[in-house]
Amino acid sequence: MTDQTSGVAKGRSHLLVIITLAALVALAALPWLVNSYLLLMATSVLIWIVGLLGLNLISGNAGLISLGYSGFLAVGAYANAILQIDLGLPAILAIPAAGVVAAILGLLIGIPSLRLTGLYLAITTLAFAVILNSLIVEGGDLTRGSEGIGVPDLSIAGISFNSSFRFYYVCLVVAAFFVFVTRNLERSWFGRSLMALREYETAAVVSGIAATRLKLTTFVISSFYIGVSGALFAHFIRYLNVDNFSTHIGIEALAMIIAGGLGSFMGSILGVVFLTGLSEVLRTFISASDGFLAGIMSTGAVEIRGLIYGLGIILFLRWEPSGLLGLWRRATSRLSSGRSSSEGAT
Amino acid sequence: MSQQLLDVIIPGLVVGSIYGLVGMAFAIVYKATQVVNFAIGEVMMLVAYIAFTIQSAYALDFGPLLLVTIGVSVAAGLLIELLVVRPIQGQSLFTIVMSTIGLAIVIRSLVAIIWGVLPQPISLPATSHYVPVAGVGLSLAQIYTVIAFVVACILVGILFRYTRMGLHMRATASSEKTAQLIGINIRRVQTVAWVASTIVAGIAGVMIATIYNLGPDLYAFGLKSFPATILGGLDAVIGSAIGGVVIGVVENITGRFLGSTSKEIVGLLVIVFVLMVRPTGLFGQRKVSRP
Repeated sequence: MTDQTSGVAKGRSHLLVIITLAALVALAALPWLVNSYLLLMATSVLIWIVGLLGLNLISGNAGLISLGYSGFLAVGAYANAILQIDLGLPAILAIPAAGVVAAILGLLIGIPSLRLTGLYLAITTLAFAVILNSLIVEGGDLTRGSEGIGVPDLSIAGISFNSSFRFYYVCLVVAAFFVFVTRNLERSWFGRSLMALREYETAAVVSGIAATRLKLTTFVISSFYIGVSGALFAHFIRYLNVDNFSTHIGIEALAMIIAGGLGSFMGSILGVVFLTGLSEVLRTFISASDGFLAGIMSTGAVEIRGLIYGLGIILFLRWEPSGLLGLWRRATSRLSSGRSSSEGAT
Repeated sequence: MSQQLLDVIIPGLVVGSIYGLVGMAFAIVYKATQVVNFAIGEVMMLVAYIAFTIQSAYALDFGPLLLVTIGVSVAAGLLIELLVVRPIQGQSLFTIVMSTIGLAIVIRSLVAIIWGVLPQPISLPATSHYVPVAGVGLSLAQIYTVIAFVVACILVGILFRYTRMGLHMRATASSEKTAQLIGINIRRVQTVAWVASTIVAGIAGVMIATIYNLGPDLYAFGLKSFPATILGGLDAVIGSAIGGVVIGVVENITGRFLGSTSKEIVGLLVIVFVLMVRPTGLFGQRKVSRP
């Protein structure tokens, strides 16, 4: 019996390896297959994935709401640009360093907020995101105020990655790396402790988990991810301005991980693909139709987006709290349980 | 007191009354249900828009406008409680609070789609008269705001301290399970809390629209009022009101001496400071968690 199940598990993990490899090959081939607009979309999705993986660690795995996504994204983006322009750091160092700057800020915000239980992180991170936007405008020579800051062309080891074609591959490699790391983190002692903490904090503490330190570590790691995502984002949009970092982004990011599935790296990926895809489809659908809908659309593209993301949060939490990933898991387990029960009958 | 100081403090008290009202709205829901409603700012914006739409259609005066506001608030509070909060009752705090965040951007988007992104003109001539108060010219709207704040404090104080419903609310807050066991209808407690909170927020929204303007960024007052309730204590209703007044005055003083950006962020810095020094706020109760 045990041999059989491990055989099934082995078969399944072989299958997963094959699927992963196939997905990577498909993603590597993508730039040859799609037009330039879709390539930009795909790049943006990859950049999102890096940050969402981080957000999902703190909000999904640890169950603590953070509304500071836009803040950490801005810190990563500005730190990357400033380190490259003012200190002349090469991009290959500046991008991780931007993540580290975001992580240090995460530590500073985490210390007062995470000693407390419950919702305080949501409040302090929202406050942080708002304060940061004011600081960017008032930043003078450092952030170039409301004027904004031009981001240098991305070149690594003398090779220019400035074209959207090459930049896509940079993002793909970074995203794949972070997905791999996160997958392993989730299955380590660290991930399991977080899960215990989320489900029943008192019990987790009693069984020897240092709750505050674990939450703080998670928040710092999560800030690092979002900072790196911001650094890539800087090269993606090429011109930084405070308007790129509205606090709306923080809510959209939460909507994505909720729609995809909380507490799992696959959830982050599914969520961003689903919600950007849905907004895109609706956008083309609405602008193609004329009359009333197109009238709304011309005045309120941002509002339609907000409506989709807000309803996404409410409806998924109400009807499918484990997100698309939960739907998928239930569908596959029904399939495989159907098969094993029929095997049992024979 | 020198006139210069009064020039700063009295407008601070007016803004502080608004923060106090919104802070109270946060605290009422938190006290009864342990939930921070992140959609308060948006709810008060929605109430203000609907109330002023009715007001301009019938050219109502200020008094009837207040009655309309209360009516709209009750309807909005009931609707939100019924559609958004009740279906997920009993689920994790994460789910409930996240749903209020989702609701927040739904309302923000709806308001912008329905009424547009430009501020709406308001015609309420009775409130724009200026009256000198201790040498500072205040509009009637500002004076009404302070009066509304004081009245709301008294009524909410009475609700919590002297009525049976208030007793039930406090019992539910201290232990939902025990409250249920002794026969308290916690569902009704929750409904009353959401409706009461929405009324207070709705009045704040209409006053903000009267003093400043009726625009789709009115919701920002929700975030601006967070410091009030953190300073006063998330579970302290009157404490949050007092916190609002303090924040209003502090903001105006720093704004005068350190510039307008500092005015924007000083309240948020207060949040961080309070959480480090006294996380329960000035008037909040310390909680002990037991397995």
